[in-house]
Amino acid sequence: MPAKAIGMISGGLDSTLALALVKRQGIEVKAVNFYTGFCITETQRRKGGRADGTVPRNEALRAAADLEVEIEYVDVSGSGYLDLIVNPRYGYGANANPCVDCRIFMMRRAREIMEQEGADFVFTGEVLGQRPKSQRRDTLRVIERESGLEGRLLRPLSALLLEPTVPEREGLVDRTKLLDISGRSRQRQIELARELGVSDWPQPAGGCCYLTDEAFARKFFDLLDAREGGGEGRHIVREDVVLLSTGRHFRLSPRAKLIVGRSEAENAILEGYRGGRSRLEAQGVNGPVALVEGAPTWEERTLAARIVARYGKGRRAARVAVTWEEDGLVETYEVEPEADEARIESLRI
Amino acid sequence: MAEASLPTPTHTVDTSGTLCPYPIVEAARAIRGLSPGEVLCVVATDPGIATDMPMWCRATRHEHLGTFRVGAAWKSYVRKRAG
Repeated sequence: MPAKAIGMISGGLDSTLALALVKRQGIEVKAVNFYTGFCITETQRRKGGRADGTVPRNEALRAAADLEVEIEYVDVSGSGYLDLIVNPRYGYGANANPCVDCRIFMMRRAREIMEQEGADFVFTGEVLGQRPKSQRRDTLRVIERESGLEGRLLRPLSALLLEPTVPEREGLVDRTKLLDISGRSRQRQIELARELGVSDWPQPAGGCCYLTDEAFARKFFDLLDAREGGGEGRHIVREDVVLLSTGRHFRLSPRAKLIVGRSEAENAILEGYRGGRSRLEAQGVNGPVALVEGAPTWEERTLAARIVARYGKGRRAARVAVTWEEDGLVETYEVEPEADEARIESLRI
Repeated sequence: MAEASLPTPTHTVDTSGTLCPYPIVEAARAIRGLSPGEVLCVVATDPGIATDMPMWCRATRHEHLGTFRVGAAWKSYVRKRAG
């Protein structure tokens, strides 16, 4: 019976190559792709594509299809994962990215799948030294140990620089066909792709996670701080994740936040999250849909309406009517569109 | 293949309102309950299904019979692989 492996793939070049290397050894492979809710590509697709009009593919599906490997989506976007990113044991990277904790979380799930499937090991496209924190040698060891995958986690691209794993020692995997790639250069991966006939991978590499994005991180931490300040405790829920990646965000006060749609697609997304929030829209002129979270004062309501008016076609009008819908009640505010750009920028999160 | 010439699906799963990748997640769950050769119809409002479903079928060796736009939704037909 051939060995069986679970491959954690994103569809990027490294995980595609790892998949190709393992499959080439005649090992039965099942690919898994983790859905966290923070994938920039998925969000771009929901909004109708990139700014240049192209629609990004699902690269994990594409890689599995190209290499004829069965793939399963694993949805980890629920509360356990969200708790982890709010309280990461190993801390954050440069932004809101708790990469070490995230890897441990996913690998624990991969271990469960390995056990359910009767597979022999898990593999990834990780490259030693490629990322400053999560792919250092010591961190790779921590991730392996904490995930319960000790000896069962193969990194085919860097395997020759690491201790042999159990499947290598048992002869299930031919170690001589694994590689010794390290560092941030992708030259060897590109050469290997040519050798393995892998001709299609996403460009540029990496950068698919909102948690690594500086602007997203500002909004993420603002939300946590506001909840903590309001006595709710630091937490986020699934719908926060969608809203944090949608629209322009303005902190009106510790009690209230305004989110203004930037496109038809974003307006449609915001419409789906009206529950428990106030909905604002200019009347008689085209303009964005906006939501207000929290409990704004009268002054903050007026300010929100002025900002909404400023982002619509009535921005140069003397006054604009903005409807405010809340709990089934509709009010209309006649406001001057906010003209003080510096003020707007000071509120922008 | 025109939609009208497709076999009547054994099972239909309506994923309307869910966003990528849930239509594929739901399709994967639904097809486990079918026998080989039976046909699944997946209804989705996420346009990503038009590109995702053919790729998912290629990866999982199910047969993609066709994906059609029907008003604001898409219907995707998949025949479960043998064995």
